[in-house]
Amino acid sequence: MHMKKFINDPKRLVAELLEGYTLAFPEKVRLSGTNTIVRAQAKEAGKVRLVTLGGSGHEPGLSGFVGEGMLDASVAGDIFAAPGAVKCIEALRAACAGGEGALLIVLNHAGDVLAANIAMQAVEAEGLKVRMVLTQEDISGPDPSDRRGLVGCVAVYKVAGAAAERGASLDECFEVAQRMERNMRTLAVAVRTATHPATGQAIFDLGDDEMEIGMGQHGEAGTGRMQLKSADETAEIMLEKLLADLGVRGGEELLVILNGAGATTLMELYLIFRRVAKVLEAKKIRLVRSAVGEFITTQEQAGFQMMIARMDRELIELWDAPADAPFFAKL
Amino acid sequence: MSAGMRREELVRMFAAAAQQIRREHERLSQLDSICGDGDHGTTMVNAVEAMETAMNATSATNVSVLLKGAGWGVLGVDGGASSAILGTFFAGMGVTDLGEECDCGQFARSLAAGLRAVQKQSKATAGDKTMMDALVPAVETFAAAAADGSDVREAMKQAADAAQAGADATKDMVARYGRAKFLGDKTRGCEDAGAVSIALLFRGFSVALSEEKEDSHA
Repeated sequence: MHMKKFINDPKRLVAELLEGYTLAFPEKVRLSGTNTIVRAQAKEAGKVRLVTLGGSGHEPGLSGFVGEGMLDASVAGDIFAAPGAVKCIEALRAACAGGEGALLIVLNHAGDVLAANIAMQAVEAEGLKVRMVLTQEDISGPDPSDRRGLVGCVAVYKVAGAAAERGASLDECFEVAQRMERNMRTLAVAVRTATHPATGQAIFDLGDDEMEIGMGQHGEAGTGRMQLKSADETAEIMLEKLLADLGVRGGEELLVILNGAGATTLMELYLIFRRVAKVLEAKKIRLVRSAVGEFITTQEQAGFQMMIARMDRELIELWDAPADAPFFAKL
Repeated sequence: MSAGMRREELVRMFAAAAQQIRREHERLSQLDSICGDGDHGTTMVNAVEAMETAMNATSATNVSVLLKGAGWGVLGVDGGASSAILGTFFAGMGVTDLGEECDCGQFARSLAAGLRAVQKQSKATAGDKTMMDALVPAVETFAAAAADGSDVREAMKQAADAAQAGADATKDMVARYGRAKFLGDKTRGCEDAGAVSIALLFRGFSVALSEEKEDSHA
């Protein structure tokens, strides 16, 4: 497949994209060390720091959520590849420099978890106060004990970030993050592949008239390949699976996030969201909060992720709290 | 006759391993393109470069210090799971003090310590179609050869052969770990790129040690 992308040197892709990103939002974020994004103005002393890590090529994720009310630092890896453990150690050390302690939020992908575990063990041995939350909410895949982390991390950043901003302790931030994580589920669908921007390779093949439910962030093949369906039908199939997996009952309150994969239009996402809202209404499930847009993308892949989360009073409050990251604001 | 492992041998081993990777990086990426995203060759080139840089950056002669340095060098590479596993392996090898020169038995225990460090971090086991399919037989074969009284050169040759056989065997396996496991049966029919990389590294180690032997006879 021929790749049509505006690229300079494939080897410098990540460095250049992060440089461009910080130049675009100089009042909010800056580079610290190699490929680590931190807030332009550090959080007040005495408050817990939030750190995340993950591969690049998913913009605005994950560094787009560094900012007031959300993350303090994001360690960016190469395209679709976890960052090196050394950089994660340095980011955790920097985050803990004031003695506040840091919560590391990691999406469950093999390389990310390896880097995170190596880093956690190293800084724990130095006596730093750190805890780690793994997001693993993807309901596709053969093994329920090893689910991938998809767009749900954004909700975890949001509620744990708000808790940290309020002065919650590391254990309290961890508890909030964990509660959000355990109450969320995500399912992805893809209709068209993306190309790896450094290698030019197509990530997967899908027929012109096909869609695949269960597609991961890197185009990992899912399990449900089927004939392309309408927006309403697709929304219903996915929502039913999510509601069943989370065990949602009538009267419960849900947050719904629709995350475009990169090439699916906002128009389509709203068609999907419309149906989701109507189905929930019919089931007497309360749609209390929502977010529709591009949060974690996979280049020009077409498709989306649907995330639902069971909310309680405190989680809603934390979701509503002020945030001012370049790609997530609540004012 | 010295059959020990010193800085000199280690530097040559890592240089030869790096050469193997550089020669084969396109094939590694090609293999990875079937089950992954096609960048494994590039990742490995970065990893061996970091290994060499770390080795050359110090004049240390302690074998453990050098191994640890190489390991942490690789852990500094943004290479996803591959560099994390490889870096953990070499850093783990350096945990027990080997001094300035170690014999075959000591090096076997160092390799085993490296493998244990990896097993502590990763849930992957032999048969999952990963680096482990070459690494486990390489380390075990080296230990068995050492126990039989082989010297480092002979033990490394057997380890390299075992790693190669392990990598070849991944061809018929279905991936059960990492991103590739979601591809299921589609992963059958090609070797795992990570396992092939491990086999190349051990082949490089073996080649370097064999050359050295010839040199010392000259």
